[in-house]
Amino acid sequence: MNKCALNRDDWAAYLSGDLEEGERRTMAEHLEKCPDCRAETDETRRVLEKADAVKAEIREAVASVNWEALPAMIADRVLTNAGQPEKALWAGWLRAWAFPLRMKPVLAGLAAGLVVGAVAMYFALKVPGPRSGQDTGYYASGDFLDRAELTMARRNTLDYLEKSQYVLLDVFESAGEGAGGPAAFSSEQARDLLSRKKYLNAQLERFQMAKAKAICDQIEMLFLELAQISGDLPAAELGRIRGFVEERQLLLKINLVKKELQSEI
Amino acid sequence: MKKLTVLIGLFVVLSLGSGLYAQITPDESLFREAKLLVYDKSWAAALIKLDDLREKFPDSPYAGQALFYKGECLSGLGGRERDALRAYKDYIRLADAKPSLVEESEGSIIDLAFGLYENGDAPAIGDIERRLGHDNKVVRYYAAYKLSLVSDKKAAAKAVPILSRIIETEKDPELLDRARIALLRVSPESLKSVEDRKPTPGSPRMLKIRVWNKGQKEPAFSLNIPWALADLALGALDEDDRAELRKKGYDLNKIMNELAKSKESILRIVGDDGSVIEIWIE
Repeated sequence: MNKCALNRDDWAAYLSGDLEEGERRTMAEHLEKCPDCRAETDETRRVLEKADAVKAEIREAVASVNWEALPAMIADRVLTNAGQPEKALWAGWLRAWAFPLRMKPVLAGLAAGLVVGAVAMYFALKVPGPRSGQDTGYYASGDFLDRAELTMARRNTLDYLEKSQYVLLDVFESAGEGAGGPAAFSSEQARDLLSRKKYLNAQLERFQMAKAKAICDQIEMLFLELAQISGDLPAAELGRIRGFVEERQLLLKINLVKKELQSEI
Repeated sequence: MKKLTVLIGLFVVLSLGSGLYAQITPDESLFREAKLLVYDKSWAAALIKLDDLREKFPDSPYAGQALFYKGECLSGLGGRERDALRAYKDYIRLADAKPSLVEESEGSIIDLAFGLYENGDAPAIGDIERRLGHDNKVVRYYAAYKLSLVSDKKAAAKAVPILSRIIETEKDPELLDRARIALLRVSPESLKSVEDRKPTPGSPRMLKIRVWNKGQKEPAFSLNIPWALADLALGALDEDDRAELRKKGYDLNKIMNELAKSKESILRIVGDDGSVIEIWIE
């Protein structure tokens, strides 16, 4: 055992070049004269060199650990080994691991430092990422679903307005020909659009959709008329609907609202 | 100019001629006036005309339809939802009720019942629940959709079988998306089992999005949804997150195409404020 009065804490600092010039010179002079200290310093140097190599290995090992799944794995192992003589196993492992450290305090200090450092490094450098194999169920917040429904309402309102235009133009064509040929077709389409409009109503109540709501409500009333028509539509009725659409400039309004919706999607 | 005058004159003569030919009866005239007021949402004035029609011409072929439009007026007026509900129910019971107006009335009954229930009239939900078994699928589907929105989750869960059925059997993308969102709201696990049953060889099944604020371990926003709703999901991202994506030069449609092509990849966008957005597909 080395009986020199020199502070052993300084050895590591000396070896890593962290001592001030005066202290470093004193230490060097002492080591030249004292074989015991020289031997211990050599051993410390070897430990430090090995520790550098181990540090990289630990970093690699830490990176490869699935920290999310670790608690579950530990729990599984503990449960699997529940029937085994756990105490003896742990005691043997601890003895094997701690014995050399007890005998070599510098090594023990370094190992403890490395473990603490590695854990700290994990928490400092941890980058969020996908957790494959976990949370395979669906979930979305209520706020998100509301926003999704608003997005969908915008698209579907646009679609509703486009289809309404076609139906109205169809009616116009019929009026122009002076016969009620495609009335039944328009009636069916009008009924389909009426059923779609119901789903839009809640979203149309939002202030962002106020203009769309006004035009959609007017169209809905027209479609209620069209949906009731079966068979040929009398020319007078067609003319009346056409007159109404022209008077309210519905087609122009539809185009304006469509442009607004397109810019928001 | 002369040509235009002649054309207008011709139009007026033809209009008068067709009008004379049509010979509009007083009840029809009253009904048309009432409907024009309904178009303009002049509910109170329209209601007076409709009541007038039913009182003066109870045997008119328009008296029945007047009941439907009465429901529209009462519903539009606000505060008279129960009266409106009654008017629609009365119309449905008429022997000469028109199928299109019956379908509309059923939808309006569901809407009115939903409003009454959400305002504390608990028994009103019965009007929605009973329509889950309606013969007309338009009515049945709408009842399920509306029920999925009620605040009582236990009641909302009754819509699950119909919503699942829509996803399994319907083709209309609009209807499918609505059913998916409704199921996601009421019972995400039911949506999962329905989607898992659908064969989709080779195509991605789930879109995942996480948004982390700087320095936080738990994501501030998490989303796991069917791939079928992916397009909608990106459109519904929070405006700040969308702005972040735009600022970084990402086009949402492009992102979806890229992710769909290489299913294993993950898109990670780090914002200037240290927040992290991750989007990936499984």
